[in-house]
Amino acid sequence: MSATQTKPNRGYGRWTPLWFLAPAVVTLFAIGIYPTLFALVTSFRRYNIARPREGFPFVGLENYVAVLTDSTFWASLGLTAQFYLTALPIQVVLGLIVALLLHKPGMGLLKSLARVTLVVPLATTYAVVGLIGRLIFNRDFGVANQFLSFAGFGPVDWLSTPNGAFAAIVIMDVWQWTPFCALIFLAGLSMVPGEIEEAARLETSSKLALLRHVQLPYLLPGLTAVMILRSADVLKLFDMVFVMTRGGPGSATDLISIYIQRVGFRIFDLGTASAQAILLLILTIIISRLYIRVLYREAH
Amino acid sequence: MKRALRICASVVALAAATAAMPVAAMADWLEDAAKPLKGTEVNGIFLDRPGYRAIIKLLPEFEKKTGIKVNYEIVPYENAREKEVLNFTSRGDLTMALVDLVWIGEFAENGWLVPVDDLAKDKAITDPNLNLKGFFPLLLDAFGSWGGTVYGLPFDNYSGLLFYNSCKLKEAGFDKPPATWAELKDVYAPKLTDASKNQYAYALQSRRGETQSADSFMRFLWPFGGSLLNKEFKSNLLSKESQAGLNFRQDLLKYMPPGVVSFDHAEAVNALAQGQVAMITEWSAFYSTLTDPATSKLGDCLAVAPEPAGPAGRLPALGGFSLAVAAQATPEQQKATWLFIQWATSEAIAKAYVEAGGVSGRMAVYEDPAIKAQYKFVAPMVASWQAGVPEYRPRFPAWPAISEVVAEWGSKIELGEVSVEAGSKEIGTRMEAILQKDGYYDGKKKLLQ
Repeated sequence: MSATQTKPNRGYGRWTPLWFLAPAVVTLFAIGIYPTLFALVTSFRRYNIARPREGFPFVGLENYVAVLTDSTFWASLGLTAQFYLTALPIQVVLGLIVALLLHKPGMGLLKSLARVTLVVPLATTYAVVGLIGRLIFNRDFGVANQFLSFAGFGPVDWLSTPNGAFAAIVIMDVWQWTPFCALIFLAGLSMVPGEIEEAARLETSSKLALLRHVQLPYLLPGLTAVMILRSADVLKLFDMVFVMTRGGPGSATDLISIYIQRVGFRIFDLGTASAQAILLLILTIIISRLYIRVLYREAH
Repeated sequence: MKRALRICASVVALAAATAAMPVAAMADWLEDAAKPLKGTEVNGIFLDRPGYRAIIKLLPEFEKKTGIKVNYEIVPYENAREKEVLNFTSRGDLTMALVDLVWIGEFAENGWLVPVDDLAKDKAITDPNLNLKGFFPLLLDAFGSWGGTVYGLPFDNYSGLLFYNSCKLKEAGFDKPPATWAELKDVYAPKLTDASKNQYAYALQSRRGETQSADSFMRFLWPFGGSLLNKEFKSNLLSKESQAGLNFRQDLLKYMPPGVVSFDHAEAVNALAQGQVAMITEWSAFYSTLTDPATSKLGDCLAVAPEPAGPAGRLPALGGFSLAVAAQATPEQQKATWLFIQWATSEAIAKAYVEAGGVSGRMAVYEDPAIKAQYKFVAPMVASWQAGVPEYRPRFPAWPAISEVVAEWGSKIELGEVSVEAGSKEIGTRMEAILQKDGYYDGKKKLLQ
């Protein structure tokens, strides 16, 4: 008996999947992996492009030691954490409130309109948000002080005092990113099976209990995504803050990305700036892993 | 009678011909020099400021005469150095360098600029009326020279000036501007400040960045006898004179609008233009903004004077840009760029340049009675350029890093987050660390600033 086995004709050759994957892999390598590898190599060199005559020698861990012993780096990182811990809870709470309101039955047309308008802040360029912020928080003709005056308060020096400037950048970030949280949570709420939600509503009239025991488990994956994306985003938040305050007054809004940009593109010390960026990449990965481990476990 | 008329006509014709001579002569040599370079392109970076808008207006004349195409990209000041450094290090397409006075050391030491002497050797492409001595010596020295070599010709030239609202000063009983900083603070400021009416005597642009370091912090060092560095390149900020200047700045704050620490040039100019403050010290280049009815309410109330003097004399802020030929350009492009730079900074077009809104670095144009009469800023600016400190801000390659330190700690001092002394000490320590790293203390680098 001959046991000749012929491969079924699948309609494509052995290398066909490779050709389909190749464009994506090559693109990812060109715009993601290669620059990261280049930054990694640069972080071990003395690499100041404004001093080409000094060459670009390898200096081992010198840049990392310089970064880790730089008090300004730690101060900027601390300020960035403070910014994240201030802005994110506000965005999550407001986003959740907006999502719950939009999840309520009825008023279909208005809700559709509201969903569309939520995209507007997200679609606005960071630099434009910064310019709008400069106008809103202008002491003499900004609308922020105009509203405060309606409530009987005197003008606030938003952009020229450390606390005012910090509050101003937080408010602008909340304005831009609350809709993102709202949309993610809305998607989560729409995943809750209708019959379970109906049954829960019959069991309890407490909206808080409904949220805690029925809706929250469906919101946790979205919350994890929000936290991961916002962590990475805050660590690279540059344009809006630079346009609004340039990191000032003093160092009140000197977030880590502003500091790295200054080292990289004002002083052109790309070796040190790359070391800072690599350390931030490691930090982002650690934070993301923590979120996934803690929140996903909760979700399951 | 007929004879008298004929004589008058001849005199007028002769005068007109004489006045037109430099332009005609320039046209001749320029056209001849450009013949082999027709079609060559010059690439440079411009800023969105009056001096650049002025030369852009005149550009068609140059392109028509020479057949050389001038391409320019307009970028914000904050990005200009970044663009140029990246272009020069990657051997990009720029054939012309726009050099801020604080970049000259970096650009020259890196070999990115062609010395003027090397270009001027070629008589076929050099203006017979180049006349380097026709530039204000302070400008040629500060904006275009490094280590005794001239690299660039002064193009967009500024001096710090006192712009003031003469109507407000008159209402307060003053018929002339303050001559000294002490007079401004002690005599003028109390009478011109009424916080309840949102009226203030003076505004000092102090936003973090070059505005804080150059326009705010450094402005109060030199006139008070202080300086950033001493002869050994160590910090001089704790000297009695430097401390006096910086303390004076703090004392003056109570006569300035709240929030001045976040004021950039636009906000300071606007505060004067809209009547919130009576005086500002700003670059001469903002004259056209303050005279434009679309942006200023001042009208005839606008007046201009030199910056007030301090105990060490009148040492006003000095700033500006030169144009230089980029070493990375091809020989053809270098020649074409050199022709453009000579034309743009020439005596022949200086008057047209000023009339279009620019500020020429040529001395001769400011002797023109029509120019003197039309532009109020001319007399005080020329007076300011007679004496000054070329190293008002150090021009060595370490300045950008030091400027960042000064900007951060200068703002903190102004906000009262640290004392003047503690802030000065911090700046000094960090500045010396930068200079140490750059090799200024171990003899690797000459102490040039």
